[in-house]
Amino acid sequence: MTKVLVIADIKDGALKGSTAELVSKAGEIGAETAVAAIGSGVASLTGDLVQAGSSTQYIADDPGLELFSAGPYAACVVDAARQFGADMIWFGFSESGKTLAPRVAARLDAACVSEIIDVKLKGDQVEVTRPAIANKVLQQVKINTGSLVAVVRAGAFEAGEDVSGTENVVQLSPPETDARAVIQEIISDAEGEIDLTDANIVISVGRGVKDQDGVNLVKELAHDLQAGLGASRAMVDGGFMPHNTQVGQTGKIVAPSLYMAVGISGAIQHLAGMSGSKYILAVNKDPEAPIFNVADYGIVGDLFEVVPILREEIKKVRNQ
Amino acid sequence: MKILTTVKKVVDVELNIRVKDGAIQEEGLQYVINAWDETAVEAAVQLKENSGAETSLVSIGGADNTDIIRRCYAMGIEQGMHIQDPAIEKPDSFTYASILQKVYEKGDYDLVITGKQAQDTDNGQTGIILAEYLGLPCVSNVIDMEVLDETHVKVSRLGDGGTEVLELELPAVVTVDVSMNEPRLPAMRGIMMAKKKKIETMDLAGLGASPEEVGAGAPKSEVLAFQETEKRQGGQKYEGDPAEVTAKVVGLLASEAKVL
Ligand SMILES: Cc1cc2nc3c(=O)[nH]c(=O)nc-3n(C[C@H](O)[C@H](O)[C@H](O)COP(=O)(O)OP(=O)(O)OC[C@H]3O[C@@H](n4cnc5c(N)ncnc54)[C@H](O)[C@@H]3O)c2cc1C
Repeated sequence: MTKVLVIADIKDGALKGSTAELVSKAGEIGAETAVAAIGSGVASLTGDLVQAGSSTQYIADDPGLELFSAGPYAACVVDAARQFGADMIWFGFSESGKTLAPRVAARLDAACVSEIIDVKLKGDQVEVTRPAIANKVLQQVKINTGSLVAVVRAGAFEAGEDVSGTENVVQLSPPETDARAVIQEIISDAEGEIDLTDANIVISVGRGVKDQDGVNLVKELAHDLQAGLGASRAMVDGGFMPHNTQVGQTGKIVAPSLYMAVGISGAIQHLAGMSGSKYILAVNKDPEAPIFNVADYGIVGDLFEVVPILREEIKKVRNQ
Repeated sequence: MKILTTVKKVVDVELNIRVKDGAIQEEGLQYVINAWDETAVEAAVQLKENSGAETSLVSIGGADNTDIIRRCYAMGIEQGMHIQDPAIEKPDSFTYASILQKVYEKGDYDLVITGKQAQDTDNGQTGIILAEYLGLPCVSNVIDMEVLDETHVKVSRLGDGGTEVLELELPAVVTVDVSMNEPRLPAMRGIMMAKKKKIETMDLAGLGASPEEVGAGAPKSEVLAFQETEKRQGGQKYEGDPAEVTAKVVGLLASEAKVL
């Protein structure tokens, strides 16, 4: 039986939805599934890890793992993979996953594939599908080694309905700290912001909103809708939005039920991060803007006029 | 401080990519320097200008890679190496990293700067695997770097919870994000001088490596086939009185899409 080790995505002490999605997919392809949780205080998540559908839980819970540090975290993953005898190790689509996967693959002499959206077992042979060239093409990739480390693209798999696991906790011993790459601090995101990758609705601002007042206008709409607030690279480079809100080829990949692009032209690198959304609404004053080629609903107009009306109308339909 | 940067020649993502029978059609494609690598080159040149670093560069690929190496010369890189060998077939990130390992070991470098990913594969692995092979510390997705002293740099990387600030002991590998800097446009004078500059060209034997050693021709993973990503179909565009069209669209979001 194929064994899949899923590395838990944990943010602010809580398990992210992506973990259950990965575990469900592993179950679907008939694999035995373990989950590894690494951090400080993560033992308290054991119940959630079981509920996600895992049959074994590898826990590395140590105050020394409070701040993300790639070397020690990779050591924990390698330890869990060896103990479990993992054929595949799957990371969610996080910055830590993206930086850990190649390290772990190199240490285990395994293949490494980023951003997979599908995985198939053909007898002993593993084949995965993944986008490349800013999501313009899909590659069908054959794995030539016995083991595979993969990063799963956000939104690729769905969590099953009634999954259940069994509790079988294995404690991992804390690794040595990395004296050559010492984490000093994490300048964290604004408190209370809604996580883009988990949000049901994401609203992103582009250069069209111009300045901080424009950002604030859209922020009010996001607040009404409890939506995550994203941005194009133009707004991040302009210093109007934090780096971690960038959606696209070099930023976050989001796949919410509704994505609203406000004052965004729709460059290929931006589309690479949001074209998996269920519905897309674009607001742009240029009827020829490429974003309209992918939007299910398009409003051609001045966003400074349209956004306040959007707020009012949405309030109306929500109060009905 | 001696810096090694790496540059890859990749397909221009702005152009149309067409696939036929599982293969990308060459016709109409153009090849350019990978955007993330251009950021790495700019970072190296800034370290040369501000901290007196020595800058070397390596590119692995076919004969026509020399044009991107010359472009980097024009940006201010001092020494360029070109690794070219017909045995380097279907290279995966591990093969690239193994070849770069050989390059690194021939020099006496303090810092390797690579782009965080190449825009043709979007894999984002080579620099990190190289660091593992060399047993060096590595920070990926770097957006800022500051030299502290001869053997330490301070780097900021984009992490999940925010910007992570690390003190990194040299020698080390960093992979950089495009938001780190704005690569300069080479000046005419630089372009002219770059034309005359020597490029050191080597095959695997010249590097002291056999194809087997670097995994050439035996990739850990290989692409069997390509297909074009299904294009999203645009829906309806509404123009006219803002109040009217916005009310209409909100109605549809609620009744048709059921997302409100
Ligand atoms: C290697 C690389 C990686 C990249 N990665 C990313 C990435 O991850 N994410 C990303 O977003 N970009 C990325 N980019 C940049 C990308 O190519 C575009 O430059 C960027 O997405 C443009 O942002 P924008 O749409 O906000 O700005 P613009 O392209 O300037 O578009 C602004 C839009 O606003 C509209 N507008 C202006 N005023 C109004 C108004 N009053 N009302 C309504 N509409 C208005 C305009 O019609 C226009 O369509 C990358 C580029 C490179 C080279």
